[in-house]
Amino acid sequence: MKKQCYFSQHNIKFIDYKDTEILRKFLNPHGRILSRKRTGIAAKYQRQLATAVKRARFMGLLPFVAS
Amino acid sequence: MNDIHDDRLAVYEIGYLIISSVPEDQVGAETDKVKKIIVDSGAEVIAEEMPHREHLAYTMRRKTVAGSYEKYEEAYFGWVKFEVSSLKVEAVKNAVSLIPTVLRMLLITTVRENTYLGKRAAEVVANLTLKRPVIKGVDAAPIEKKDAAPATIEEMDKSIDEMVKEV
Repeated sequence: MKKQCYFSQHNIKFIDYKDTEILRKFLNPHGRILSRKRTGIAAKYQRQLATAVKRARFMGLLPFVAS
Repeated sequence: MNDIHDDRLAVYEIGYLIISSVPEDQVGAETDKVKKIIVDSGAEVIAEEMPHREHLAYTMRRKTVAGSYEKYEEAYFGWVKFEVSSLKVEAVKNAVSLIPTVLRMLLITTVRENTYLGKRAAEVVANLTLKRPVIKGVDAAPIEKKDAAPATIEEMDKSIDEMVKEV
């Protein structure tokens, strides 16, 4: 069966908060994190993604609320 | 009693923002201050990126000694990855955050391997497909609204009559 998880497919083991280009793909137009139902990534990576997005927001690399 | 703060080496990363009022040619000197604190604590620097000017996603405010607020729309973002004793990392964190030109800093535990994709991220993103794609992304262009012809009162009455007849 084909792997759905985007990070497993690309052999990305750790999601870095500095890779904002990737993180942006998992945000909705308001800047909120997409659910696992939409992203289709493994639970392990969804947790890592959430942490990375929150770190990037704190450092001003991603918005808390996008207008 | 067991001491929870056992002395062991761990890999950490400090991301920092230097205020935009610092001239471009003096950013290197500010970076050296951060690096000196890290090296003086006995840490081994694994990787680093020199600060580059970045437009912040939101306006950051910082309270001055006088009590007023300084606002920043831009800052220089840089990071250092290093290995240090877990007992000394707290002192490093406090010292870096006390540098007056450091607007904000973030200390995280990480791994020795490179986790930052950098320019490779563009290739990785190119073939990204979501399970249920969102129509509009954060950076997507806004959808143009088509001008609908305004309905007249007669037309509206007619359509309401038709709906009532159907019922």
